[in-house]
Amino acid sequence: MAEHTIIGKSVRKVDGIELVTGKAKFTADMKFPGMLYGYELRAGVPAGIIESIDASEALKEPGVHMVLTAKDLLGPNLIGVLPPFDQPVLPDREIRYAGESIALVVADTREGAKRACRNIKAVITPIEPILTMEQALAEDARKIHPQGNVTFSRTLTKGNVEQGFAEADVVIEGSYTTTFQDHCYIEPEIACAVPSGDNRITLYVSCQSPFHIRGHVAANLNVPASKVKVVQAYTGGSFGGKDDAAVEIGILAGTAALKLGRPVTIAHEREESIAGTNVRHAAEIAYKTGARKDGTITARQVKVLLDGGAYASESPFVTMKAMIHASGPYAIDHIEVESTSVYTNKTYAGAFRGFGVPQVTFASESEIDELAKHLGIDPLELRRKNGLKAGDKTATSQVYDQSVGYLQTLDAVEPSLRETGTKENDGRYLYGTGIASVIQGISNGAEGVDVVGASVQMSQDASVLVGCGLAEMGQGSRTVFSQIAAEVLGIPVDWVTVRQVDTDAVHDSGPTVASRSTTVGGMAVKQAAETVRQSLVKMASLMFKTDESMIVLKEGFAVLTVDDTARIPLRDVATAAYWTGFPLMHLAFSQAEPADFDHDTHQGRVYIAYNFGTHLMHVKVDRYTGEVEVLKHVASHDVGKVVNPMAASGQVEGASLIGFALGHMEKVEYKDGIIQNPTFADYAFPSIRDRIPTETIFVEDPTPHGPYGAKGIGEPPVAAAAAAFANAVSQAVGHRFTHIPITREDIAAVLQEEV
Amino acid sequence: MVIHFTCNGKPVTVDVDGDMRVLDVLRDVLDLTGTKEGCGEGECGACTIILNGKTVNSCLLYAGKLQGAVVETIEGLSGDSAGLHPIQESFLEEGAVQCGFCTPGMVLSTKALLDRHPDPSIKEIETALSGNFCRCTGYGKIMKAVVSSAEKLRDSREDGHQSGTGLGVKRG
Repeated sequence: MAEHTIIGKSVRKVDGIELVTGKAKFTADMKFPGMLYGYELRAGVPAGIIESIDASEALKEPGVHMVLTAKDLLGPNLIGVLPPFDQPVLPDREIRYAGESIALVVADTREGAKRACRNIKAVITPIEPILTMEQALAEDARKIHPQGNVTFSRTLTKGNVEQGFAEADVVIEGSYTTTFQDHCYIEPEIACAVPSGDNRITLYVSCQSPFHIRGHVAANLNVPASKVKVVQAYTGGSFGGKDDAAVEIGILAGTAALKLGRPVTIAHEREESIAGTNVRHAAEIAYKTGARKDGTITARQVKVLLDGGAYASESPFVTMKAMIHASGPYAIDHIEVESTSVYTNKTYAGAFRGFGVPQVTFASESEIDELAKHLGIDPLELRRKNGLKAGDKTATSQVYDQSVGYLQTLDAVEPSLRETGTKENDGRYLYGTGIASVIQGISNGAEGVDVVGASVQMSQDASVLVGCGLAEMGQGSRTVFSQIAAEVLGIPVDWVTVRQVDTDAVHDSGPTVASRSTTVGGMAVKQAAETVRQSLVKMASLMFKTDESMIVLKEGFAVLTVDDTARIPLRDVATAAYWTGFPLMHLAFSQAEPADFDHDTHQGRVYIAYNFGTHLMHVKVDRYTGEVEVLKHVASHDVGKVVNPMAASGQVEGASLIGFALGHMEKVEYKDGIIQNPTFADYAFPSIRDRIPTETIFVEDPTPHGPYGAKGIGEPPVAAAAAAFANAVSQAVGHRFTHIPITREDIAAVLQEEV
Repeated sequence: MVIHFTCNGKPVTVDVDGDMRVLDVLRDVLDLTGTKEGCGEGECGACTIILNGKTVNSCLLYAGKLQGAVVETIEGLSGDSAGLHPIQESFLEEGAVQCGFCTPGMVLSTKALLDRHPDPSIKEIETALSGNFCRCTGYGKIMKAVVSSAEKLRDSREDGHQSGTGLGVKRG
């Protein structure tokens, strides 16, 4: 394979200087003349009927410009990233969760708007809320939505599980549960709408799917999409959270701005971010696994229930993703997974880094360890025996002939099994080791259209501007796109600028989700750069009076292959190309190979590639307090090709801590349908003291579907870290924990019982 | 009320309500938007500034507290020239920045620590940064950046290029 000069290098974050100096403009940093501020009044009851909303007192307050309720909205009053479209921007009648917005106040200041909210008289008749999935699924349950309380339900069938269980020597069963987790990006949701003099409206938004916002704002403002421009501001983290929520406040800010003819900003407070906007689904998962004495898994039957809260949001695809991934990275002939998401009167659940995979992975990997115990087989060996290899059939019977690096991730962590360090043996501490593996589909695949547009434009000075429809939210996509453009064009990285997403200037590339930026976005940038490269090579061949095959682009020059000193600066080549009429800009589309599967059995092609991973954790548990210290954490992932080791390990470390916190610390706590811990004072957010010593080992088994063979890495470590933690603690304590988070208090309680 | 204080080495006078938050004085009156609001309740540290040598959450502080004070914000670190402070350099070199929203506060907490303790232990770094939340990085690379900043500042002092602040770091 050709040597790369920039791909594979730990290039510094290209947008790092403005971030580290505080100069980057996040949405809250933008001010426009005459700007007003919106604040949302929230229901406060988990279920109820709005009888009336009287804003007359609030409107009398100085500085208050407007109060919006459902009847003031200009369009269909509907949000829905995916069908079923069931969420109102502001409900006109029924309240379905306590954090739901029912009105927007617009005032000179945010404080003024917030104050005025208290003077709105909302008469709400409470109704008995449905707070558990069991209540929701009861036969005589009240319907939260007209179609009932099942949001989405599908079944995956591979082979025949009855036959698989008949072939088994051992069959084990387990039930597992997980809780809601909030995204907790440090920048809460924010949107600013600015009407412009050209009869258009511009939105500056902290978001991850600018085109979702454009479409929703246009529909709900009842204007053509071409009248709406969305600019993604610097975004302070998203992790799946700033999609629906950004849409909601984008519509509200846009409506107010259009009506008032003035800029309007809506900035959520932390409490609104946690209680008002989407969270990770809580889950109840039942597993049945059959195996032969030699460890061969013959069948897995899984039933997944996901608590999706009040609205569908992305529940349908989270339900699908959980279903497809529930059987793990194993080659199993007989699989049946029934996956269902359910409405309840709680804050809606949606996309969150991992997208249904962490919940099922925790359950699946716990069960694999239990199976290993039953069979008396080493947990790593059991995984190795059943692990997917190139040529094997996945749960959907898809076969990959390359880029299935799962077994290599087991090999990578294996030496660390023995590196347990010194153990203090005074009886106070318990030690345990856990491993867990993950499989995570890359890009949208079965979840929808998978096209990314990217433009590459070279100026006569050979500097390059890249535009892509996918958003930088901190994950490093701008850096990766810069590296790819620089590699193709033979220029230094700092000659490349990747601009923010502006819906006027790039093609709709779908949402920035599913670990797809590097893979599908990177492909589009590469293709666009290669077309610009053709112009440069053609021009250089004319200038050198030689064949195009004799020319390479490197270090900012066109260079003769046969004489490294024969060089023409690329700025001269680019200038000549411009005057000759060779195009220096290209818009490319990368379209992932479309999914093709049976919609009843879900057998077929669903993802262009999978990321495979295995994590290992050594833990030390304090018998007296339940406190856990992670002594070692090794995270190995098959990413196809590492584009930027520093950025990629940063993804693994960050996602691992979110997974660890899901496994050990974080939960959104409800009492009577009201969230009890919607602030950082009460929500167990991991600080630097809670960090874990993640060591990353990459496996590179390249995929033909990503640039230079690369596959995404943003999400998969969440699942593996949570599951490895659960297995390590369960082993240390000698008790199978079947619920995450496994908090210090949970551990102490178990140890107390056993004393 | 009229408040005189020193901000990033320059004398500043503002006329604001005494109950305005310092965060808003900086962001809305002085247009120093590098100081961020993440929670408004003193828990996340995104609004960290250095006040009279100590880090404070500017969202919890009223403007009256600024009278006669010496304030450092992220804008004061690199100055008007393009040069970065060694702490900022280290954050970029180590990959300690992802979304960057927590970064100004994180950098200032690091600076206040290293001004006070040029040789911080890992525990001291944890204590100094425990009030600054980051959701992106998992903190490992931030810890590396702080350790490397301390080394850099010590080296620069030994070379005689910089005086005053950070002095060194305990190794190992």
